[in-house]
Amino acid sequence: MTDLFKRLFKVAFAEWKLFYTDPAAVLLLVVAGVLYAFYYPTPYMKQTATDVPVAVVDLDHTVMSRELTQMSAAAQQIDVRYVFSDIREAEQAMAEEKIYGFMVIPKDMEKTLRNGGKTNVNVFTHGAYVMLHGNIGTAFTTCALTVGATTKVKRIALGKKVPAAKAIAMRDPIPISVQTMYNNTGSYSNYVVPSVLVLILQQTLVIGICILGGARAHRKFRKLQRDSSVENELMPYRYFGRSLAYFLHYCSFILFYHFVVYNVFEFPRRGEILPMVAFAIVFLFSVINFGMVLSQVFLRRETSMQLFLYMSIPILFLSNFSWPTELIPAWMKGFSCLLPSTFAIPAWLAIEQRGADIYDAASLLLPLAMQAVFYLLLGLVLTNLRDGSKLKTGDM
Amino acid sequence: MFIDFIRAIRKIYISHNIVLWLVLLILPVVTSVFMVNFFSAEIIQHVPIGLLKQDRSQLADKVEMALRADPVLEVAVECHDRSECEHAVIRGDLQAFIVLPYDMERRALRLETPVIPVYSSGQNYLTNTFAVKEIRSVISAIGADLFTKQMDDPIHVELKSVSNNSGNYQGFLGLGLVTALFHLAGILAAVYLFSFPFRDHRVREFLQAAGGSRVVLGAATVLPLVVIQWLSMVAVYAYARRALTPMTFDEFVVVSAGQLAMILACSGAGAAFVGITGNMRMSSSVAGVIAGPAFAFAGQTFPVMAMPLVVRGFAFLLPLTHVLKVQSTMLLGSVGKAHAWESIAILLCMALFWHLLASKLLFLRWKVAIEKEADWEAREKLHLKDKLKNIADAVYSDLSIRKAVASEIAKRKLHKGGKND
Repeated sequence: MTDLFKRLFKVAFAEWKLFYTDPAAVLLLVVAGVLYAFYYPTPYMKQTATDVPVAVVDLDHTVMSRELTQMSAAAQQIDVRYVFSDIREAEQAMAEEKIYGFMVIPKDMEKTLRNGGKTNVNVFTHGAYVMLHGNIGTAFTTCALTVGATTKVKRIALGKKVPAAKAIAMRDPIPISVQTMYNNTGSYSNYVVPSVLVLILQQTLVIGICILGGARAHRKFRKLQRDSSVENELMPYRYFGRSLAYFLHYCSFILFYHFVVYNVFEFPRRGEILPMVAFAIVFLFSVINFGMVLSQVFLRRETSMQLFLYMSIPILFLSNFSWPTELIPAWMKGFSCLLPSTFAIPAWLAIEQRGADIYDAASLLLPLAMQAVFYLLLGLVLTNLRDGSKLKTGDM
Repeated sequence: MFIDFIRAIRKIYISHNIVLWLVLLILPVVTSVFMVNFFSAEIIQHVPIGLLKQDRSQLADKVEMALRADPVLEVAVECHDRSECEHAVIRGDLQAFIVLPYDMERRALRLETPVIPVYSSGQNYLTNTFAVKEIRSVISAIGADLFTKQMDDPIHVELKSVSNNSGNYQGFLGLGLVTALFHLAGILAAVYLFSFPFRDHRVREFLQAAGGSRVVLGAATVLPLVVIQWLSMVAVYAYARRALTPMTFDEFVVVSAGQLAMILACSGAGAAFVGITGNMRMSSSVAGVIAGPAFAFAGQTFPVMAMPLVVRGFAFLLPLTHVLKVQSTMLLGSVGKAHAWESIAILLCMALFWHLLASKLLFLRWKVAIEKEADWEAREKLHLKDKLKNIADAVYSDLSIRKAVASEIAKRKLHKGGKND
């Protein structure tokens, strides 16, 4: 038994040493995990986009239209930079990206409203910017609807001959109150970055394993150590020993993200110890075995990097972090089940961002655990086959 | 010279190199089409919400029916208590839940304005925003029917996204993602094409095919790359754009010119990375670090103006930022054309800079690599000679041993034969 552990740790230690001595491995398994964690969130340091430059096209030029303009100027999300009298001026300003949207106050708005009629206020946003569309739309709509609500209250009060307070209640008898449970500030970084951090862990780990040849014996790039006993241990020792090295190394990354990155960027840390530990074990085993399987496919060390770089964007979107799973085509949903991140990102968000306890987390971790077992079996079989094959192996 | 150029292209591109074609064409096209189809539902629908009905009145039933009939929302769970809904939100099964409070109808009819709490997760920013907006409009419509059914809202707001009226996500994100993937592809393919001769020690072979001219070799490497990627990008972009307002010919020309300038700039950058680092592994890593998260910096999801100053500077250096600007201004029709050309000019300047830098560095690298390869070949020959000599010695000694053994055996036989006689 002691001999078993001795041999296992010997393999693990030899592999761990490689993380810091092989230049490609250092870049991927040490530098990338740290660098990306600080580099990726920097665009979102301000967290929300406020004071978005917009314009108002006032075709009415009345007291009411000026009130509406002033109300819009006071909104936090937008900054009314221009007031135009012609819609073409606003279009030109939008093409020059001086503004990202504008509201058109129609001619005779006040007159129509005072005569008991109804009017349309159009809000135009730039078609290419998804986030600005929402911000500008919400700000202008709220202002216009407030003016509309005031008018409606007056009409009710006059029409039904009731006091103003009653008229207000009659206009909106069942008001809603929105409570945001998590991400109260609507921070964009809080929404995107935690998911990306899990993806960074997965991608660097998988590419790192592929670059180091997984559990292969007799790796060509090891030159002097190619024929050493540690390098050519029995397959199970090689497989589990190297997996152990990756596991311990990436546990330190999870701790680093939890204690350092989350602190620096002020993300909420609601993760309890037990579900966090369970997540680390299940997620890392799933990704490591996934990497061990893939590493048997490549003939050259850098090929995995070239191919996986393309995959990062689709893999991130497949994890259901922004687009509801129900709207994804069925075949894509099926394909996504092969990727650890599909289950790991929602689990991480539930545990770390929303404070899920072990009972809530269990249902999210179960598919990840099943994946880990599946890839473990496949990895062992493929490594065994690779050991016996006489395939040309590039620099592996 | 033309024949050398063609010969070099054949040597580089027409070979059994599946990784080259994966990096150059197959993966960018496949992943781009994948992303476009990912948003095939076009708009957000069926956002899962929960409902806690504490009030069992007609009004509550009416609210429930309206919520169930709304295409954006899907009442996935009807909770028995608040904790059940809360845990479903924690697990991510629900994006929001609504509590219809006790005596809601009675209090509403008495004009006591009972507040309906809506608990939104907030974690999934975009989906939650949609869901909350929809819940608000459904409930206020039901509320308005109670006392002011005949009275329309005096102001109606129409929110229009220019050239993307329906808020189609294929238009919002799909187009940007296609461009981002080709931005990455331009750099990665150039890295691969310029670095694999160094990796396989075949610089001399390629240079020979190019008639010994480094200019011809450079052109033969970069031109097919640019043409293949540009054409495939234009095709995929047109496929992704089909859901939006059709482009005029002028708009098509401007957008395609922007995309060509981007591919030129990216291929130059990729070649320069190889020139700087000198090997495939390092240059691929640099390309990955810069181009991998480029979409986050380019301003399509989170606006550049809201980024810190240093990041804005970095975003300006990315070709992706400028080509996205070209594409977005062209979404506005002909008014954006003049400004699109400004971005194209910036892209062309970038392309010129990167290609000049790359040629300077690669010419040096190729020169050094040729000398090294010649040196290796000479050493290999020397090794071969030594090896042959060793083998010959071994064979000779083996033969002499065999000869000695054979003569010994013959001697013994002779000796035995003599004894027998």
